[in-house]
Amino acid sequence: MTQAEIKLCSLLLQEHFGEIVEKIGVHLIRTGSQPLRVIAHDTGTSLDQVKKALCVLIQHNLVIYQVHKRGVVEYEAQCSRVLRMLRYPRYIYTAKTLYSDTGELIVEELLLNGKMTMSAVVKKVADRLTETMEDGKTMDYAEVSNTFVRLADTHFVQRCPWVPATENSDPGPLPLAPILVISEKDMYLVPKLSLIGKGKRRRSSDEDAAGEPKAKRPKHNRDNKEPIPDDGIYWQANLDRFHQHFRDQAIVSAVANRMDQIFRSLPVGYNISKQVLDQYLTLLADDPLEFVGKSGDSGGGMYVINLHKALGSLATATLESVVQERFGSRCARIFRLVLQKKHLEQKQVEDFAMIPAKEAKDMLYKMLSGNFISLQEIPKTPDHAPSRTFYLYTVNILSAARMLLHRCYKSIANLIERRQFETKENKRLLEKSQRVEAIIASMQATGAEDAQLQEIEEMITVPERQQLETLKRNVNKLDASEIQVDETIFLLESYIESTMKRQ
Amino acid sequence: MAGNKGRGRAAYTFNIEAVGFGRGDKLPDVALKPPPLFPDTDYKPVPLKAGEGEDYMLALKQELRETMKRMPYYIETPEEKQDIERYSKRYMKVYKEEWIPDWRRLPREMMPRKKCKKAGPKSEKAKDTGKGASLTNTADVLKKIEELEKRGDGEKSDEENEEKEGSKEKSKEGDEEEDDDAAEQEEYDEEEQEEENDYINSYFEDGDDFGADSDDNMDEATY
Repeated sequence: MTQAEIKLCSLLLQEHFGEIVEKIGVHLIRTGSQPLRVIAHDTGTSLDQVKKALCVLIQHNLVIYQVHKRGVVEYEAQCSRVLRMLRYPRYIYTAKTLYSDTGELIVEELLLNGKMTMSAVVKKVADRLTETMEDGKTMDYAEVSNTFVRLADTHFVQRCPWVPATENSDPGPLPLAPILVISEKDMYLVPKLSLIGKGKRRRSSDEDAAGEPKAKRPKHNRDNKEPIPDDGIYWQANLDRFHQHFRDQAIVSAVANRMDQIFRSLPVGYNISKQVLDQYLTLLADDPLEFVGKSGDSGGGMYVINLHKALGSLATATLESVVQERFGSRCARIFRLVLQKKHLEQKQVEDFAMIPAKEAKDMLYKMLSGNFISLQEIPKTPDHAPSRTFYLYTVNILSAARMLLHRCYKSIANLIERRQFETKENKRLLEKSQRVEAIIASMQATGAEDAQLQEIEEMITVPERQQLETLKRNVNKLDASEIQVDETIFLLESYIESTMKRQ
Repeated sequence: MAGNKGRGRAAYTFNIEAVGFGRGDKLPDVALKPPPLFPDTDYKPVPLKAGEGEDYMLALKQELRETMKRMPYYIETPEEKQDIERYSKRYMKVYKEEWIPDWRRLPREMMPRKKCKKAGPKSEKAKDTGKGASLTNTADVLKKIEELEKRGDGEKSDEENEEKEGSKEKSKEGDEEEDDDAAEQEEYDEEEQEEENDYINSYFEDGDDFGADSDDNMDEATY
């Protein structure tokens, strides 16, 4: 794992789970697989804390364990899975677009908790949905269950590996650690449950989560001692399936743009006749983008979507765009030229691009030092004498993509750090504003007059309000940037993965 | 050897023309310091995407961040002492639900070793039956003394007892333990057992003339 990735993982773990989990997680990412005592010793953390941290990490599918011979259990972190935490909002939003609010909340609960039983998810989501409904209305468990089943059928959620049921009644000595199994055919099998019930609304006295000291709270989880019908059957969000969806979306929108360019004058309608469809497909197949290929003529022509090429095109487009925004449009022209011609000499670049030699030189070297372009040496003589060697400029898409990906990780890490810095700088002011809001809320609940509310609001001065506004604007910008950079990360990672698979 | 310039004159080992510089051109200055931390960019960044989806995801992201901090998976670090103890802090503590992992899915060593400060129902029962049956039994008396001494250590016998029980009861006890906030560290049994006593084991070994020796040398200071 590169330093940039480790740094980003550290920031993400710390934001979501606190410093102790972060320390253990990052340590495992750095060192690889380790047993419990070694982790405690190397990190200088107490055994108890390490255990808690590992439980959290395992629950969230970020760490796995393996029993090695000689009876030692080792724990291993999954760095790439940690980086997926950046994408949570996208997963949840996608679920919303496909399966509306119910689907959205199901996926959100699964992501927040790592793994859950179906009955737990259904109950929680029904409660949450009921909160948002009008007074007197409740969400039925059956409806939530239906959405859950649909999510399982389309593979957006899947079963976690489970402890195999032991046949023998005599357990014998307990194993050091359970060996979890998973079978393809059972991965999306929904247990036969008859979940009957409706969501419960929290009563207003329970709503103020911040105010009540611990002792007053009733212990919710002790209340229902009913047996859980699907005990031990856990579900998790299937991230790969979401990725498939994103990839399809990206390709479809790229093609749609292409179609727009070509057919801008034609009216867009949905009742396309067969002939027109044929024309479209032929055009697509001939298109230099090479997304669609024609493979054979059976049934009037079989068209195939070439995924790898599609991803390659998307990655290339990303690179081009970055060059354009960073170095200017003339640089971008040179870049596209070298991409197209594969290998070019210095002189040829100047000629084809129609850019004066000095500027072309300058731009090429800028891109070279940014690792977007590389030099290929072709010796003319066996002694590789520099004066008798061709130096050709070329774009190695795979390595440029890797370079850009690495930069993306660094960028997001910087964005997060800056956001945390901004928040920390204004911590006092933020806390004050939260206190004021809490006071106003409680006063409104007890029916205070407008004049009193005004007085409280004035506790925050006008310049302070401006400061808060600025802070909010900045934090929003930084957050939005994170989300957008993650989109680029997704494209680049998909392309790199697809390329590596073919090798 | 490789860096020698021919007789004091600059001569390149390769054809400078191939790289694109003409002979006799003034080459740019050598950089003597690292590049600036925040270099000026020639081009402004493209504005961020804006739209319904983006706005929604932004709101989601910020909400998730807040929610995560309130979940039981977020393990707080014990804070250092505040400069001023705020009375309001006591009442602003956010209520966190307990989370008990499913121990059946985890390695055995993950379970926190219990310190019997407040003995769970199982160990209490064991003690009770012991008490009723054979108080006069010296073994039991010794056991009682041991228990009193090692208060706070996880006893071997108790642990074995617990491990034999089904996982349901385990998790039930686990709940109570954590409710009682008996989450004490237990690092190495041996060391803790030793440190419990104030007396170093070697002091009162049989046959030592501990008391006798100190009378001889009155020069040594007595503490």
